[in-house]
Amino acid sequence: MVNVFFALTEEFNSDGVIALLASGQAVVFYRIALMSKDGDWVLKETRGACRHVLSVLASHGARYRPGAPLDPRWLAGGWSCHFEFFDDKKRRVRCDFVSRPPRIPAADIETMFSAAHGEGALRVVDPGRLVLLKQTQRAKDYPVIGELARLLPPQSERELTTDPDRILELATEAGGDSARESVRLARRGRSREEVVAALAGEVDRLQQADRARMQRYERAAQGYLAEFRGTVPVEAPLEEAHAFAVRLAERSLPTTLEGEVS
Amino acid sequence: MQMLSEDDLDLKEMTDVELERAWDLWFDLAQSTNDADPPYSHGVLVGLGLDRTPAHAHRER
Repeated sequence: MVNVFFALTEEFNSDGVIALLASGQAVVFYRIALMSKDGDWVLKETRGACRHVLSVLASHGARYRPGAPLDPRWLAGGWSCHFEFFDDKKRRVRCDFVSRPPRIPAADIETMFSAAHGEGALRVVDPGRLVLLKQTQRAKDYPVIGELARLLPPQSERELTTDPDRILELATEAGGDSARESVRLARRGRSREEVVAALAGEVDRLQQADRARMQRYERAAQGYLAEFRGTVPVEAPLEEAHAFAVRLAERSLPTTLEGEVS
Repeated sequence: MQMLSEDDLDLKEMTDVELERAWDLWFDLAQSTNDADPPYSHGVLVGLGLDRTPAHAHRER
């Protein structure tokens, strides 16, 4: 009955912390909502970490889904790697990995691991960085950001919340100037309607930026993914499929996209 | 402004065991939409269409 994604996190980290649980399952960990049926991890960008995760996944009978090979060369370029297996109750368990999560500067990733929450081997992305990860193109992530932001100190909450009432409350209570137009308007005593409109614009810009980022990766991956679907033996043992995926990626998947990894 | 429902926010009041039970039940129910799910929900391929997954081939493991 244990959450399979929590249990997997503990398996990944059994010999030292190499994987932080992120996204929807981290939202479950913080008791915000039961909102995701997949697992998403930020992985250390080392060959050892990749080998260990592949070994754990293989022990569960996992198979590759089309995506980059779990290899530091492509992880370092911001690519994501995708797997799935079925648990002992025949439930589908999808597992996704990145080592360069969106909107987190590369120089901050080591700190991200030391700032992780949780106990023992169950390590979870901290709420502030989780907010940044949740700034996606999906509308459903923004109410969750509002709740996650409540876990932060007031000034950080003010800079990240998507709740207009909290912006209005915190505008003058917390900190000084803000980079957010919605907060600046609230600090100047402008109407709620103007604050809400500014907030909507901020959210839309985040969604559009995320969408544009995805499109760059999707375009760069088209040829590789078409060949992956046709040639990688996803039913083969994971190690064999991994070797295929690596050889294919070496031929047809760029490790990095210009301007994508900071 | 409360942005999530009382049902969601009640998670904070649950014990660890209650949360695990709630999640387990939710995960069971969520399997019913597997075939309709988008192929990717995280990572940089989220916008891509249906792929060839190994789902049906090893579902009976």
